Amino acid sequence: MVALVADLGKYYGDGEQRVHALDDISIGLARGQFTAIMGPSGSGKSTLMHVMAGLDTPTSGRVWLGSDEITGLGDAALTRLRRRRIGFVFQSFNLVPTLDVRGNIVLPFQLDGVKPGREELARIDALLHSLGLADRVTHRPHELSGGQQQRVAIARALATQPDIIFADEPTGALDTRTGREVLGLLRSAVEQSGQSIAMVTHDPIAASHADRILFLADGRIVADRGAMSPEQISETMLGLERGAAAGLGERA
Amino acid sequence: MSTVGASTGQLREHVATIVVAALSTLFAVTLILGTGILTAALDPALIAESGTFRLVLLMVSVIFIIIALYVGAIVTANTFATVIAGRTRIIALLRLVGATARSVRSRVAAEGLIMGALGAVVGWGLAEALAFGVTRLGPAWGWLPEGREYPLFDPLSFIAVAVVALTTWAAAWVGSRRVASVSPIAATGAVVEPRPEAARGRSGRSVWAVILIVSGCTLLALGLVLGFLTPLGLFVAFLGGLASFTGIALGAHLIMPPVLRLAGRIVGRGPTGALAAANAVRYPERSARSTIGLVIGVTLVTLFAVALDSYRSMTLLAFESDPAMARALDQTLSITTGIFTGLVGFSAVIAAVGLVNTLSLGVLQRTRELGLLRTLGFTGAQVRRMIIAESAQMTIAALGLGVALGIGYGWVAAQSLLGSQVGLAPPTVPWPVLIGVVVFGAVLAVGAAALPARRAIRLSPVAALAAD
Repeated sequence: MVALVADLGKYYGDGEQRVHALDDISIGLARGQFTAIMGPSGSGKSTLMHVMAGLDTPTSGRVWLGSDEITGLGDAALTRLRRRRIGFVFQSFNLVPTLDVRGNIVLPFQLDGVKPGREELARIDALLHSLGLADRVTHRPHELSGGQQQRVAIARALATQPDIIFADEPTGALDTRTGREVLGLLRSAVEQSGQSIAMVTHDPIAASHADRILFLADGRIVADRGAMSPEQISETMLGLERGAAAGLGERA
Repeated sequence: MSTVGASTGQLREHVATIVVAALSTLFAVTLILGTGILTAALDPALIAESGTFRLVLLMVSVIFIIIALYVGAIVTANTFATVIAGRTRIIALLRLVGATARSVRSRVAAEGLIMGALGAVVGWGLAEALAFGVTRLGPAWGWLPEGREYPLFDPLSFIAVAVVALTTWAAAWVGSRRVASVSPIAATGAVVEPRPEAARGRSGRSVWAVILIVSGCTLLALGLVLGFLTPLGLFVAFLGGLASFTGIALGAHLIMPPVLRLAGRIVGRGPTGALAAANAVRYPERSARSTIGLVIGVTLVTLFAVALDSYRSMTLLAFESDPAMARALDQTLSITTGIFTGLVGFSAVIAAVGLVNTLSLGVLQRTRELGLLRTLGFTGAQVRRMIIAESAQMTIAALGLGVALGIGYGWVAAQSLLGSQVGLAPPTVPWPVLIGVVVFGAVLAVGAAALPARRAIRLSPVAALAAD
């Protein structure tokens, strides 16, 4: 297991108004797998990702990254953890605007106060080539297209060879073709170098690239499946939405 | 959105404008009331001349008031430019539903008028309270002669309030000119990172700046040479100083970025230093505007201090044979130096408000970016160091340039006036003033960064990333 949570709960408010963002979740993500986390808006999928990545703290339960428990770690320890052991790709605003492409990619190395070694530099160069960014290394984010920016974010996430990459709607701001390219890049990182990736999405096509799909609704895991076709995923999602609507009807 | 628009967010944005208006009015009204009180404190035997005395005092005061207003206007224009940059989304939305650029801009400028008026009234109240306190306690504590009728109100003070409010309005109008360049499309949220401010429409300004600087420096040199023949060299040098300094203020967008980059090298390396250095010149126009105010303030302080101190030492040199006369002169000139430096120093304080504000608004507007940095592995301490380094870089650049210019101008002034009597003399550097400037700068750099840094660190990365 590369990431593990047990009896995870995250609540806001108290008493009658208590809102369950996450409700008693226990799952493990296998190393070298591409996991998609799906669910309607407000299902808790982003919160789950934030907690697993050490960006947010749970109200109850425990969280592990690899074999290290990260529950209760202080801010500084979590920050150091994020530098090298976790990669991030967001929907947009992934890059530091004042740094060029190379500066953005080597930033996690510099934060440790350690210059990237020869081997790491070679890996970064290989990444830049394979992602088609070789002639863009001195460009700044505003000079790049949305797809190129997303590729730089992927290069940065891959460069440190983290335990796991968390991707939050990585194709949300892209057109269909560019989005598919980005998904292909993530997929090949899993296949070629055994990179573990967890991707939050509500796009069935994006989720169909994954080896495993977790469905969340109302802060609970309601389905845990292997690879599925976009059609099957859509159907499952529709079922969840209908269930949620029915549940709402009962409560009212 | 109402015209008054006094939501908390907007008030936060306008704090600097209110403070600058209040400080300017406090300064102006205190000087106006002060001249009246000083005149009343004069020996009644001299009463016949007191009218002239007051007029002279007022005229000198007006010069310092204009300097303070000018620096205040630069600060306010810059504050509004920064506010506009942070309101792009809202402005785009207003444009989308049909507001013209002009009407949006008028509304923003009207906020300036309201905030300026508010600040001016506060400043007036503070000055009146100060005058009341001084005239009440003064005679009792022996600062002022007893049994005089000290005037507490002066119609001129109302003119000062009006002028400050109107100046703020005009500065807000000038500062909000970028409203016109906000595209309604920005409301759709497709714009991720605004492009660096384009330097268009600047060529005319740049040409004027270069012309003024070159001709100003020529006149300064001429005044210096003439100074060896006649004290009238000062007038030529004065014109040169005026021209070249206006050129520098006008060409701030050319001069400040290289100075800031130079200061950036001092601030340090590593990811924090490098990012801070890049941030400080990220919007060269904005950084130039917010630092030039402080440059002007510090230049004027140093100029007065160096000129008067050099004048003092050169005069003492000329009166070497007459120790009694030299001592009397020394005392008078020292007091004059102190008073003038203090009065000009007030402009530097106003400029400092502007720098603090630009920095903290800049941090506020970068919430999401700071969230990204925290996510990628910046510790809270590293974010704080970065913001302090940014602040230090801007302060060092402004103080360094200001002190250098001030020493140069001050020396030329003293030399062109007295060169014919004492020959070539090096500038006398008044160390207490310079040390004061450096201490002021250090406090400013760290103090300006403290609040925004604390806020930036307190926010969790998740909350920061979700910020708009």
